[in-house]
Amino acid sequence: MAAPIRVLTAVPICDGHDSAINTINLEFIRHGIEVVYLGFHRYVGDIVRAAIQEDVAAVGISSYNGGHIEFFAEVVKQLKRKGAGDIKVFGGGGGTITHDDAREMKQKGVDQIFFAGTSLAEMAKFVHDRYGKPRGKRVKPKSADQELAHRLTAIEDGFQDGKRRTSNAERSTSKSEKRHQTSNIKHQTSVIGFTGPGGAGKTTLIDELVLRFLNHNSRSRIAILSHDPSVIGEGALLGDRATMINSQDDRVFMRSMATRGQAGGLSPATESCLNLLAHSGFDYVIIETVGTGQEALPFRNQLVDQTILVMNPDYGARLQLQKIVMLDVADIVVVNKTDLERAKAALSEIEHRLTQNKRKQQIVATVAKRHRDRGVDELFELITSKTGGKS
Amino acid sequence: MSKLGAVVEAVEKREKFVLEQVQRARTDQQFAQQVMDRWNKIKSEIPVSKTPTGLPLPRLALPELDEAGEIARYLFGDGLPGEFPFLNGAYREMYLEPLRQAEVQDKKSGSPNGSNGKKNGARPPEEPTRLFSGLMLAEDTNKRFHFLSAHQRSKRLSTAFDGPTLYGIDSDADGVFGKIGEGGVAVDTVEDMVRLYDGFEIGSPDFSASMTISGPAPIIMAMYIAAAKRRFGPGVVANLRGTIQADIFKEVQAQNETIFPIEASLRFLLDMIEWTSQNMPRWYPVSISGYHIGEAGSTPVQQAAYTLSNGFAYVEMLMARGADVNVFGPRLSFFLDCGLDAEYIALSRVSRKIWAIGMREVFGADRRAQMFKLHTQTSGRSLIAAEFKNNLTRTAAELMLAYMNGTNSCHSNSADEPFTTPSEEWIRLAAHGQAILLEESGIFKHTMNMLTGSPGMKAVERAVETAILDEFREIESLGGVMGAVENRYQRSQIQNAAHRYEQQIYDGTRPIVGLNRYRNAAEEMPEIELARTSRAKQKLQVDRLMKFKKKNAGKAKGALDKLVKVVERGENCFPALLEAAEVCSLGQITGRLQEVVGHFRPMV
Ligand code: B12
Repeated sequence: MAAPIRVLTAVPICDGHDSAINTINLEFIRHGIEVVYLGFHRYVGDIVRAAIQEDVAAVGISSYNGGHIEFFAEVVKQLKRKGAGDIKVFGGGGGTITHDDAREMKQKGVDQIFFAGTSLAEMAKFVHDRYGKPRGKRVKPKSADQELAHRLTAIEDGFQDGKRRTSNAERSTSKSEKRHQTSNIKHQTSVIGFTGPGGAGKTTLIDELVLRFLNHNSRSRIAILSHDPSVIGEGALLGDRATMINSQDDRVFMRSMATRGQAGGLSPATESCLNLLAHSGFDYVIIETVGTGQEALPFRNQLVDQTILVMNPDYGARLQLQKIVMLDVADIVVVNKTDLERAKAALSEIEHRLTQNKRKQQIVATVAKRHRDRGVDELFELITSKTGGKS
Repeated sequence: MSKLGAVVEAVEKREKFVLEQVQRARTDQQFAQQVMDRWNKIKSEIPVSKTPTGLPLPRLALPELDEAGEIARYLFGDGLPGEFPFLNGAYREMYLEPLRQAEVQDKKSGSPNGSNGKKNGARPPEEPTRLFSGLMLAEDTNKRFHFLSAHQRSKRLSTAFDGPTLYGIDSDADGVFGKIGEGGVAVDTVEDMVRLYDGFEIGSPDFSASMTISGPAPIIMAMYIAAAKRRFGPGVVANLRGTIQADIFKEVQAQNETIFPIEASLRFLLDMIEWTSQNMPRWYPVSISGYHIGEAGSTPVQQAAYTLSNGFAYVEMLMARGADVNVFGPRLSFFLDCGLDAEYIALSRVSRKIWAIGMREVFGADRRAQMFKLHTQTSGRSLIAAEFKNNLTRTAAELMLAYMNGTNSCHSNSADEPFTTPSEEWIRLAAHGQAILLEESGIFKHTMNMLTGSPGMKAVERAVETAILDEFREIESLGGVMGAVENRYQRSQIQNAAHRYEQQIYDGTRPIVGLNRYRNAAEEMPEIELARTSRAKQKLQVDRLMKFKKKNAGKAKGALDKLVKVVERGENCFPALLEAAEVCSLGQITGRLQEVVGHFRPMV
């Protein structure tokens, strides 16, 4: 079986009509497709950057508020200009895109437009037929990010049923992985792992930290490797990018991965992908697991330099804390959403639990959704001081 | 925990109370007599008018009851139109053609003023028709407004803004050029606002403007006031009539036009509501909207439940800030969708009742603050591209349902809805649809509630009410509206319902004529007149804006600095917004506020 198809979907700038694309996302996933969803009200530049970093087979755009001829054409143009003409563009917008418009859009390089009244199954079939073929020889990358993106794809698709498969593409990648490692050996990259239960606000916290990293040093670059669960027997909705504000930036390289059948919060290919990212010249590499259960210990084999557990004050009774294994190994425990009523009690319970470990663990209280939250500032300082203030 | 749980209890308690009254009327002689006397008095006071064919009909239709228990059930459970719990209508009279003097005096027992309290010779009631429009630049929309209102007694304009305006972005911002004037009118500055309503007497009682905008609503409201002052002087402010949508909860749940973090958005909104309810007594500063929730694909019950709970959440927040429910309460208004599903036979009726009970029993509001004043729009999503002229029939059926539900005003969609901002041809037909129903036909003009009260309607009411209360319990268990929002509860429920809706279309279980039934295989793409904004117009808008910015550069800086200070100090920022709106563009204000309070983190 070939690796799942990856597509990116989005809604253009000044447009919040997301009902169609939400339905289409759900339908694609049911048909085994992995969808990186970028959300609504998105600039051409954000879509193109994401498409290249995620190295998707195609970009699906849903546009309703007019200006679609220009918008689609601009996405095609910028993809080509960045050497990513192999990423195809398709989409729809109900009746707002007329047949004449569609003809013009196709002339400008758009692959396909779906009109009002097209069945959902038809669209999923199109994606399979048109974008489902295994990738042939890749185009020569025009930028370091694109090259990195291609390598990550080769690694990810090199795993089959959780095991590494040896194909030509993959062998050449592991070689280049090594080459990469030696050439960048001097650059200090710090790898930070974020984990914790679903709904604790990991993605928001990471995005807020990214803002501080970017402001702190105007030349630093950051990579984010984020994970979302695959639905059993189906594709996956990779939606973290959609909720990010500060990470839509050329200085951030973000890659979303589906767990593809592996339990524990990461994907079979995570370790290899992380290895590559850790030797690609970034100052920080942030890795985010899917929402994990109490017994999860996602970061093994010294995968990361620092482990951060993000928790929600609503973890239930105090007894539950004893069962959370990550509390023993995390370097920093973040209690997010401390604007909730239970926060004070939670903080002192967790603090107590940590003293049993007799290790130098830190605890930080944050409200990541708050603009310029002091807790997030504190966390940022902790992280950068631990890494020796390299940035 | 929110007060939603208390609302559920209050509604259940009311049902019990009604049953007790029924029992009492059947067992307590004296009470029964009181009920009967009241009933007979009501009946005797209803004026009768004659149809053009000479048929005498009562202005208000009552059920034929002669048993005290059933009468009590009607009076306490449903209430007369204009009476608690307002199931039958917020007002005693709507839609009726004015009574001719002769008829009134014919009816000896009736008071000459009728029972509606309207003085003889008062102005005829305003038309409920409101057509939502906005296209290209301010002067183009202005022309459309004049076209639409040329034959109306009262000028009731409803304004649609373009994408950049809805997102608080200026027309000269990077990457938005192609969107200028699409799907609505481009407004960047107070000067655009002046152009937009040019030629209309903004302060007159015969004029009202409604503005469909929410994310940047307080800024646009300030611009509207600034424009009115430019034309008519500061005295005009207290006379301004109209509505601004401003409802931020439904943006987060369904329409996706939130531009500041939720807490900051709510604060700006509440600042505006407080200011306008004190200084603009005729203005509706928020239109609590289910339309967008419904159109995003929710079920009708979800639509009503989320809208009502959002409304109660605003009341709770305003009261927590110390505002008086009887001052702001009457200034809250509502906006619901009306589609073809069976729930729409009674959805708005039930919503009115639940609102009234919640406001009275839980929040202690008086009569005027209990009234659920409703604008309805027919469903855009029910209109499809295939054989699009069928959309006329769909809209007609929906209009009928909307008026059966006693809506206070209504927008009817144009048949070319799936394709474009309507052309003059189709919007004219959409307006005529309402005129035919209300003026030509005898369905509403003789008797306002001609079609209500059928056993079927009652059955829908019961089922819908139970389902709404179940939704309330679910939301309450998630910590009320805010808690549910943070858990993405409403969003994920709406998305699942939307997915099911589309699946039902393509598996044929939801019949759509022309699409999955009676499909015309030979149909070709119809010739549709598209309203698209030319590059020249888009450029004109950008040029005007740049000139404005240059002219006001110095003053703008001062106004923005002042605004920031007020925001940081936590004071009501609306007065500072009013000053800024005179000299700053929409994007300048939004941008500066975002520096202080941050950006909205998208919820998907
Ligand atoms: C639902 C709706 C809304 C909802 C949106 C809720 C939401 N969260 O999505 C609400 C009420 C909030 C809304 C608001 C507005 N709307 Co609106 N809306 C519609 C409506 C009624 C239906 C669109 C829809 O979702 N259909 C359901 C989908 C599943 O079906 P479909 O559109 O036929 O699409 C099919 C294919 O094209 C394909 N497809 C679509 N996208 C994609 C993408 C990919 C990748 C693929 C493969 C396929 C595909 O899949 C579908 C299945 O076959 C249309 C009119 C209409 N009847 O079409 C207006 C319409 C799109 N809206 C319009 C406008 C103007 C607005 C507003 C700007 C109004 C205003 N000024 O305030 C706002 C802006 C909102 C915003 N944030 O941007 C205009 C656009 C006019 C134009 N471009 O010239 C329309 C056409 C109505 C009109 N005639 O005025 N709207």
